[in-house]
Amino acid sequence: MIIATLHSWARRNLFANLIDSILSILIVTALGWLLTVFLRWVIWDAYWQRIYESLRLFLVGQFPEDQTWRAWVALALLCTAVGAVLLPWSRRLGVAIWLIACGAAVFVLVPPGLDRWGGLLLSIMLTVVVSTASLPLGILFAFGRSSRNPSLRACCTGYIEVMRSVPLILVVYWIWITVPLFMPEVSISSLARGMIGYTVFNAAYVAEYVRSGLQAVPRGQREAARSLGMSNWTISTEIVLPQALRVVQPALVGNVLDVFNGATLVFIIGLMDFLRAGQLILVDPAASGQTNEVYLFMFAVYFVIGSAITFGSRRMEAHMHRSTR
Amino acid sequence: MIEAKTKLWRSSLATPSVKRYVARVRYKLTHGAVVAAVIGLLILIALAIHQNLTSRGIDFSFAYLSAPSRFGISEGLAPVWTGWAPIFESVDATSSNLGMLEAGLFNTLKVALLAITFSTLVGVVLGVLRLSTNWLVRNLAFAIGEFIRNTPILIQLMFWYFAVLLQLPSSGSATKVSKWLVVEQSGVFLPLPHLSDSAGPASGFFVAVAIAFLAAACLRRFPARWRIALLGVGLCAIGASYALGFGINLDWPVLGRFGATGGLHFTPEMSAILITIIVNSAGYISEIVRGGIEGLAKGQWEAAAALGLSRGDTIRDIVLPQVFRIIIPSLTNRYISLTKDTAIGIAIGFPELFNVSGTVANQSGRDFETVIVVMTIYLLLSWLISALANFVNRRIALERA
Repeated sequence: MIIATLHSWARRNLFANLIDSILSILIVTALGWLLTVFLRWVIWDAYWQRIYESLRLFLVGQFPEDQTWRAWVALALLCTAVGAVLLPWSRRLGVAIWLIACGAAVFVLVPPGLDRWGGLLLSIMLTVVVSTASLPLGILFAFGRSSRNPSLRACCTGYIEVMRSVPLILVVYWIWITVPLFMPEVSISSLARGMIGYTVFNAAYVAEYVRSGLQAVPRGQREAARSLGMSNWTISTEIVLPQALRVVQPALVGNVLDVFNGATLVFIIGLMDFLRAGQLILVDPAASGQTNEVYLFMFAVYFVIGSAITFGSRRMEAHMHRSTR
Repeated sequence: MIEAKTKLWRSSLATPSVKRYVARVRYKLTHGAVVAAVIGLLILIALAIHQNLTSRGIDFSFAYLSAPSRFGISEGLAPVWTGWAPIFESVDATSSNLGMLEAGLFNTLKVALLAITFSTLVGVVLGVLRLSTNWLVRNLAFAIGEFIRNTPILIQLMFWYFAVLLQLPSSGSATKVSKWLVVEQSGVFLPLPHLSDSAGPASGFFVAVAIAFLAAACLRRFPARWRIALLGVGLCAIGASYALGFGINLDWPVLGRFGATGGLHFTPEMSAILITIIVNSAGYISEIVRGGIEGLAKGQWEAAAALGLSRGDTIRDIVLPQVFRIIIPSLTNRYISLTKDTAIGIAIGFPELFNVSGTVANQSGRDFETVIVVMTIYLLLSWLISALANFVNRRIALERA
């Protein structure tokens, strides 16, 4: 029975016609050969000891060794918060839980100094802080751009369009050199300046997603709310925004992946994120023979995290389609 | 009677008109407040920066742009205006800062244009493969796209540059893959087509005539007979130009003791950033193309099948022409992102606009002004691309019934 099903599946999907059959055989041969070579290298020839030795640098960078527990506590806090937000009973408190957890994580990590953050810890914290901070900012700009007030609309449109037309690396660098120029008395660490720059940049993208959500809310909702005598503020925050955010939830999760991937660009202001840590390891002449191992490891980590976020975004989209049908 | 009516009419409108007046005043007030707030904020920031700059003894001026740059970059040409057409010349330490920025812009544009062309080709092929009837082909294309989109572009660049191109055999012991392609540590070499020496203006004229006629022969608005005649004239023009000594020779890369020379030479930095951006954007474009194909009405496939068209013919003649009309806005966004992505060239030392601007800023100490100039250039580039795309979109978009 199973063999018959398998046979008919193969007939349909692999050997439907002559070209398909030839292609299938070619691909199976090529993939098989590649996989054999690759696995042989991974299992026997690769020197994984190097990765194991430098794992600390990869994960937390220059974070003081006796303070490593702080990184674990922060990770536990963030994981708990993600889990709690996904639970059905805590939906209403989701925002509060998330904000408290983020604040607590940052609070726990701050004592050794922002300059000591590094590696994957830096990449993740940057993603968490920037995604969280750019959401309210993005919502404000989205409302501004769809407002009926022409001057407000023009300002918000201008901001969004300018930010979307220049490279992230330029914005981060620009904010990094500009902030000390008009606040010379206070010294702000590179990381904080990077977070500000990245948030300023990402808010424009979030604003465009939210705006598409605002446009997706039917006009009737607004009109019905107005006929009930609600004020403009109540209509926007209680009627339109929740529905708009629900529509763009998958896109916003996708944006988190963009933030995580873009976080590699903070090397421009001298921060050592996960990718930079890997490059620093390769600078050491002793490790120069392990280029392939280091890149494979970094690709694997990035791919696993990225795929997890993409998976979450797709699940949300599928769930939404099911529930709105 | 009429008087009473007028009175009634006036009194009934009195309150709404006052309301409307109040609304108008409030509207103008909020307007004024927003404009004043934004202008005030900008002035405050500008003042703070100005004060800070003057306290450090720096003035705000763009005069440094015409000063000599006093540094060199590895590649890049800047236009020099002598007469009505620009001549592209390589830049050196005596070139002005502006010339350096122009050379950087030249490199950015070079990479962006090549990447737009090739990533579209590769992306469309990948996107069509994702709908193949073969399970392996379909999922292989999916896996490639997924891997590209789920990893940062910077690590892809690092990988191509440090783990592939710099690990190639060193110059002198080059691996000559074929006569057409030489790959070694000093870069990638391809044959370069160039005009033969015997080509004169007369033969050039015939080539232009031939191109014009052949292009006209491709237009469908002419009847078939005309098009055959046009084709004939075009071919005759080609023959005439060939008789007059027109020809295209290939300049082959030659392997020497110290590496390959001649032909079209891509430096390792240029090759790495080009490969990265082409592959990366192809991943995104394949997703756009797949979405466009799946968004097409099923009836199109069924109608084509009912007419007896094969799957390949359906995709080529029915599906893709319609899909291109749908996906132009998404493609435009991709092209803009791709152009902005060239800025990561600074990570491997490719002298594109952002990298060069960083050196200019360091050398002249004018960070702030340089960033403003560079930001403006990127803005104009993005607007240029979207204006071009809007133009194309208007020309070929389907008329909405």
